[in-house]
Amino acid sequence: MDNASYTILTRQMGLAREMQMVANNIANAATTGYRSEGVIFSEFVQSVDRGASLSMGTANVQNTNYIQGALTQTNGTFDFGIEGDGYFLIETPAGERLTRAGSFSPNAAGELVTYDGFRVLDAGGAPIFVPSDAGDLAVSGDGTLSVNGAPIAQIGVVRPIAPLDMVREDGVMFRADEGVEPAANARVVQGFTEGSNVDAVSQLARMVEVQRAYEMGQSFLESEDERIRTALKSLSQ
Amino acid sequence: MRALKIAATGMSAQQMRVETISNNLANMSTTGYNARRAEFSDLHYQQLARAGSVSASDGTVLPTGVQLGLGVRPAAVSMQLAQGSLSVTGGDLDVAIEGKGFLEVTLPSGQAAYTRDGGLKRTGEGLIVTSDGFPVAPEIVIPEDARSISINASGEVFAYFDGNIAAQLLGQFTMSGFSNAKGLEAIGGNLFVETEASGAALVSTPGLNGLGTLRQGYLEDSSVDAVREITELIEAQRGYEMNAKVISAADQMMGATTQIR
Repeated sequence: MDNASYTILTRQMGLAREMQMVANNIANAATTGYRSEGVIFSEFVQSVDRGASLSMGTANVQNTNYIQGALTQTNGTFDFGIEGDGYFLIETPAGERLTRAGSFSPNAAGELVTYDGFRVLDAGGAPIFVPSDAGDLAVSGDGTLSVNGAPIAQIGVVRPIAPLDMVREDGVMFRADEGVEPAANARVVQGFTEGSNVDAVSQLARMVEVQRAYEMGQSFLESEDERIRTALKSLSQ
Repeated sequence: MRALKIAATGMSAQQMRVETISNNLANMSTTGYNARRAEFSDLHYQQLARAGSVSASDGTVLPTGVQLGLGVRPAAVSMQLAQGSLSVTGGDLDVAIEGKGFLEVTLPSGQAAYTRDGGLKRTGEGLIVTSDGFPVAPEIVIPEDARSISINASGEVFAYFDGNIAAQLLGQFTMSGFSNAKGLEAIGGNLFVETEASGAALVSTPGLNGLGTLRQGYLEDSSVDAVREITELIEAQRGYEMNAKVISAADQMMGATTQIR
C-alpha cells in the first residue's frame, strides 16, 4: 500500500545527498585545486509480490568534474599551476596521492612540501630538495626546477591510469589505486595557482532545483497521506 | 541535513578570507609588510558507497561510488614573499633590503627577531635601533661627532668626521636567511621569530648566499596589491552570500520535512 511513499522516500534521500554535495561545492568555491562533484540518479527495480515490479530512483553514482579551473596569478616562487591534464605527486603517510593544489613551500630541511607538510615528489618519486641559499628559482613547462640556470630537480607531473576510479580525500587530494603514468600534455606554470573549478551559477541553480524538487516530493507525500486517510475514512463508514 | 553545517564551514572560511584581506589593506602602507593569503582545503569525505564494492553476484563492481564531502577548512594563511617596491626617503639610516633576507634585531628578552623594516633610528648614545628601540644585531654605535653616515650594499656602516677625508668603518650589518621564510612567526611590530618550520637562521653578509643587498636612503613599501585585495574581497563577500543562500535553502527543505504529518 505504501509503495508510492517508499519510492518518493528514496528520491528524497537522494536529493538530500545532492544538497549536501552542492553545499560542499559552494563551501569549496575558494579552495585551491578543488574539483566540483555531482551525483547521478539511477533507477533500481525492486520486485514486488504479485504485480508489476517497483522502480525507485536513488543517487548512488558520483561524478567528479575534471575541467581545468582558472589559474590565478600569485607571483609566489613556489606556487605552481598545471595547465592541461596532470597532477602533482605527493607523499603522505598513507601512500602517494595526487593533487592539483600547487601552493608549496620548502620546509626547514629544504624539502618542497604542501601546506599540510607532505613532501612533493619529483618525476622519479624522490623528494625535491631546494637549497636554502638558492637565489632565483625558475620552473620550465615540463616541471624542471632550476636555480640560477642550473637544473636541480624535475617536479613529478602524472596522470592516473584509470581517472574514473580516483577516490577523493581531504586536503584536495586524490588516491589513484590503479597507478599513475607521466602526464605528457600537462604544462607547469610558476607564480600561479589553480582555483576551484566550481561554477557558482550552475551550483546555485542546481541548489534551487534540488530544493524545489524536494518540496515537490514532500507535497506528494502529503497528498499520498491524505489519500490513505480518505480511503480509511470511507472504508470504515 | 548536513548541508547546513557544510555551508557554515564555507561561511567561516570566507569570513577568515575577509579578515585576512582587511589586515592586508590595513597594512598597505606598512614598511616591509608582506601580504598574507588565506588558503583552503576540503574536509574529510564520507564514503556512502565505496568505489570498487561488489554490486552484483557476478562480480560487477561500482566504478565510482558515492563520496560526500563535509565542507572546507582553512589550511594556511601564508605570507607572500614578494619584493615590495622601494621608495626614496633620503634618510641616512633608512635601509631597504633588495632580495631575500631579514635584518636581525635583539628583543629586550635577549631573543633574536627578524625584520624587513629598515627604517632604523639611533638612540641618545648613538646605538642603531629599530623604530621600537630594539637594537639591531650586531650592535653598531655611531660616534656623536660623526658628520655623516654611509651604508653600502654589503651592509658596512662608515662614518665621516670633520677634518678627516677617510671614512671610518663602524661595523657591518648581517643578513639572515631561512630555508622556509613563510614558516616564520609574525609577532607584530614588523618582527618575526624563527620556528621549527622556518629552520634556523642562516646568518651571512648581505649579497652572499643568495641573500639580498642593502640600499641606503630607501624603504621597502608594503607588497599589498590593493586591486588584487579588492577583487578578492568581492569574491569573498559573494562566496559568503552564496553559502548563506545554501543555509536558507537547506532550512526551507527542513521546514518542508517537518510539515509532513
